[in-house]
Amino acid sequence: MSDIVAIDRFENVQIGAAIGPEPMFLSKEQSRRYARACGLDAPRFTDDEGARKEGLPGMIIPGNMSLGLLTKLVTDWIGQSGARIVRIGTTYRVLVQPDHTISLQGFVTHTYPEERACEIDLWIENEDGERMVTGTATVQFPK
Amino acid sequence: MPTILDLHSHSEASEDSRAPVEAYLNWIKLRRQQLPLDGIVLTEHRQWNGGADYRALEDKYGIMVLKAAEVETDYGHVLVFGVNDDITARFDFANVRLPAQELIDEVARMGGLAVPCHPGRPNVGLVEHYERKPALENVVAVERLNGGSRKGENERSAELIARFGYKATGGSDSHLVSLIGLCATRFEAAIRSIDDLVRELKGGHYEPVDFRPRRPEVRRAEPVEASSHRG
Repeated sequence: MSDIVAIDRFENVQIGAAIGPEPMFLSKEQSRRYARACGLDAPRFTDDEGARKEGLPGMIIPGNMSLGLLTKLVTDWIGQSGARIVRIGTTYRVLVQPDHTISLQGFVTHTYPEERACEIDLWIENEDGERMVTGTATVQFPK
Repeated sequence: MPTILDLHSHSEASEDSRAPVEAYLNWIKLRRQQLPLDGIVLTEHRQWNGGADYRALEDKYGIMVLKAAEVETDYGHVLVFGVNDDITARFDFANVRLPAQELIDEVARMGGLAVPCHPGRPNVGLVEHYERKPALENVVAVERLNGGSRKGENERSAELIARFGYKATGGSDSHLVSLIGLCATRFEAAIRSIDDLVRELKGGHYEPVDFRPRRPEVRRAEPVEASSHRG
């Protein structure tokens, strides 16, 4: 269940508004299920020992899962407004490992009133406040 | 009159940033209480964005926009302040293995200053290179506070500065609008131009300043076997 407060219409979008933070515990089992559902059944995503054999510190979550989590942060914020994500992109800076509490966060950074669109910064933080995955999204609201 | 500048930032001119310069300035204007910056320095990756003209935006927002560059050397990443035609003719900024010692000496001779950045970062920072190679000569300042650093990196930078007696700067290394200005440098003197900045970096008094908000302690999750938070 998300605690994100949804936006209702473009006129209420404000530059500087925070989306989140949304803390969540990411389990190994969630990571395995996601990887298998996506056909990414590689040891690095499903098994600590297998991941270590690949030189990793342990299981990591698939990059697409990070992208999916950040996308869900935005769609939770969009709510029932009828807006849609027209672009989203991420940069992977630090390996995201399951069995940790992560925090999803965003900020509205820019608006385009003529297009009824806005730009959002996004990131996933670990317990130390390190931004492991960063990104931006463009959201467009209905006319 | 003191001047506070974010000495390290990337706009959409860098391939890994989507931040428009105007969005940076608007963000600072909206958060002036938390971010009391007088200006930012754009340090685009591996290029000199000399043709970009931000004077209209400076006037609109009342915030100074200066230009520099972040280049890659055999001792890690280095910010180059005071870029001019002589420097761009002498060095190919797109070269990811620029000779750091030559860069430092030649940039200074040609009127600029080269400042190694995020020295505590693995692979691309000075600390790791100093473990394998002789220390660079004629380094005036290095970046002490970098807003993009992982845990321990800024601390390693501080140890390096204490050991070698370098001057210390700060910069956000922002690639996202909402991260601009979180680390910066406070100069004792007034700075109005890139020439002022280079002069003060070489001989003035300054210190890094940290505007990152305090974040609440996040409780570490239990291993999944012992956790009740199963997905």
